[in-house]
Amino acid sequence: MLFPTVEFAIFFPVVLVLSWALMSRPRAWKPFIVAVSYLFYASANWKFCLLITAVVVGNQAGAILIQRTDDENRRKWILRITVGFDLLVLGTFKYYAFFVTDIDRVLGAASLSLPLPLLTIALPIGISFFTFQAISYVVDVKRGLIAPAPVLDLAIYLSFFPHLVAGPIVRAREFLPQLETPRDPRDIPGGAAMWLIAIGLIKKVAIADYLAREVVDPVFAVPEAYSGVDVMFATYAYAAQIYCDFSGYTDMAIGLALLMGFVFPNNFDRPYRAHSFREFWRRWHITLSRFLRDFLYIPFGGSRGGKLKTVRNLMATMLLGGLWHGAAWTFVLWGGIHGAAQAVEHVFRGKIDIPRWLGWLLTFHIVCAAWVLFRSPDLGVAADVFSQMTAGGAATLITAPALVLVLIVIGLQLIPPKPMDAIQLRVQQWSPAALGATLFLVILLVGATIPDQGVPPFIYFQF
Amino acid sequence: MSDDAPRTLVDLSKARRLDVPQLLKAIALTCLLLFITAGPGIREAGEQMDPGLDRTLVLAVGEPAGALGDVIPLHEVADEATAWLSTDDDLGEGGGFTAAAQDTQAQGGGVPPVTPEAFDPAALGEQAKPRPLKKLLVTGDSLAMPLDAELARRLADRGVEVVRDPHIGTGISKDILVDWGKLSAKQVKDESPDAVVMFIGANEGFALKNAEKRPVECCGAEWAALYATRARTMMNTYRRAGAARVYWLTVMTPSDADRAKISRTVNAGIFAAAAAYRAQIRVLDMVPIFTPDFRYRAAMDIKGKETIVRESDGIHLNAAGAELAADHVMRAIERDFAK
Repeated sequence: MLFPTVEFAIFFPVVLVLSWALMSRPRAWKPFIVAVSYLFYASANWKFCLLITAVVVGNQAGAILIQRTDDENRRKWILRITVGFDLLVLGTFKYYAFFVTDIDRVLGAASLSLPLPLLTIALPIGISFFTFQAISYVVDVKRGLIAPAPVLDLAIYLSFFPHLVAGPIVRAREFLPQLETPRDPRDIPGGAAMWLIAIGLIKKVAIADYLAREVVDPVFAVPEAYSGVDVMFATYAYAAQIYCDFSGYTDMAIGLALLMGFVFPNNFDRPYRAHSFREFWRRWHITLSRFLRDFLYIPFGGSRGGKLKTVRNLMATMLLGGLWHGAAWTFVLWGGIHGAAQAVEHVFRGKIDIPRWLGWLLTFHIVCAAWVLFRSPDLGVAADVFSQMTAGGAATLITAPALVLVLIVIGLQLIPPKPMDAIQLRVQQWSPAALGATLFLVILLVGATIPDQGVPPFIYFQF
Repeated sequence: MSDDAPRTLVDLSKARRLDVPQLLKAIALTCLLLFITAGPGIREAGEQMDPGLDRTLVLAVGEPAGALGDVIPLHEVADEATAWLSTDDDLGEGGGFTAAAQDTQAQGGGVPPVTPEAFDPAALGEQAKPRPLKKLLVTGDSLAMPLDAELARRLADRGVEVVRDPHIGTGISKDILVDWGKLSAKQVKDESPDAVVMFIGANEGFALKNAEKRPVECCGAEWAALYATRARTMMNTYRRAGAARVYWLTVMTPSDADRAKISRTVNAGIFAAAAAYRAQIRVLDMVPIFTPDFRYRAAMDIKGKETIVRESDGIHLNAAGAELAADHVMRAIERDFAK
């Protein structure tokens, strides 16, 4: 059930009304919200609900055992086993085919047979997000930052439908305290929430899907059929598409949660205005970035231990971050490029002072080049895209609407945010009737741009 | 604060607070306006969904909303006002197959004549002079992906224009949004292809109306005959009175038993439909290649190496499977066209 669908447009208002009706009675509200979140997830495949239940039970058992154990060594082992369980779930469903295929290739080269069966395992939607949140829960319990939550609270934290399938990755200590007391029914930032939902819809349906359909998908399917100018334009268009697709989803998720009384952390902050890769990762998928920092980079040693070790830690973190996105070498290489770029920045920081405009130019274009790997189904297609960038021929895909959309998406991140902030603040002050009518108009206009084939899934649903 | 300083998505400290009744008023207004301006659209969306809870939910709202829309046609005003934003042509249900059905009825009880089109010249030992392939249309539903891209890649350096036009979520028996009778005619009118590769069948099994307008459920002989009539209509369109060749791929057996039954019936319909036009229609049977004896398998031996060929949904081909299917399509094309 995608957010911009008829099903969700019927599902959500019903849930919203019942949620506020039950809010003052947590003993009724909590089972209700778990049930509707499971219903939301079951619309993709009911079997996935069994998996998320197993993750809830496994992590709750780990958290309680950690709390009840005084011996630090045993606590560490319980944590390792629990995190190992989460990684096993993630590895089995997400990476099995990837590793088995590659093991098979290596063994085949040595004339050996494959010890594991070749299977296609359906990837449960959102598995990367809820397993990471589960890890954050049990680690925060081990670190003493939070106490084990009641099992129903943990089930809500992991399955809460606004963030279930593609984040943002909300930390346990950000979300669980919000469940301790009922949300205030007189304190709903309705204007802000409806603004976010409207902006998210426009970003996803009117911009990201249009650019995908008209420019990006044709080029990445058959790069050889397009001129260098078209291929370059498709690369910039993909940068705009993936930003609008993912941040559009996040805007809607944050807006829906706000309507239900919950606050999620921000996930994007104008990433294409970054002047360095370090800054880019403070602006792009912020909740993943801080997860990687807190649960990989710092445990690896962070920047302690000299430049060489820092470079190693950066590379390891970003390679794993790349692999988190998908079971393919294109994602590993994408992470490698981001790791290498940050490593270079780290090594030369304070030694070479480049102008800010040059920093932006380099960062933006390397990010765009790395997106080619992210978008390509395999390394062969990525190589074709890069090699085709120098090909001659006429531009056939650079239409006025596509060009304007790419320029708006990237340009709006470069200009000062004050005008947009002023509009946003003004809209938030509107009366409920004006807000309701405006949201209707946005849905009507955005809905008219949806093609017969419907709304394609969000890019990050596959992760 | 400088422009580069981290900023929050929305400044909640300055946001106006609503209480629950105010919030619900705003949401109720949005829903009410959608209900009265998009009713028939909601109903259609429900009707084209697969059976299940989602469909029941959407139809529970869509049917009364659609009925209201039938009485007060505000949706037509809304559609006209927003038509400039639409990127689609009008390819919805509208009798694209009606003419063919009437033709079939007009045959009455007589025996339809066998025409020369029913014979592949090669089967009669004739040797036709191969022509060059200039334009290839690859179409169908989601099954046609990534086969379309694979064929386009292979033909990119041969000077062949490959038009890729898959329509995801559509079906020959599912014509609410895309009527393939209309769409095939439009594709031929717009593109005039020398050859057409058709791969469709992932979304079939919907009830088809017979000559008495009675819905016939899948998957008996009557449904197969109605499906075959529609497929034959499309084949006739695509073959352009003999000027084009059509490569129609059958559906390899899916993992789900219900879908497997549908695909078997669909394939039987395709073979029956093509019999009238063997001169131009080549049915490329994917079943013995991917699922011998109608048994689903995710992986198979390719060049001595066990390889996964299906997506995890148990329906579609993955990239390796599409490459294998493309091998067969390319061989068939090379038999009919000069290199």
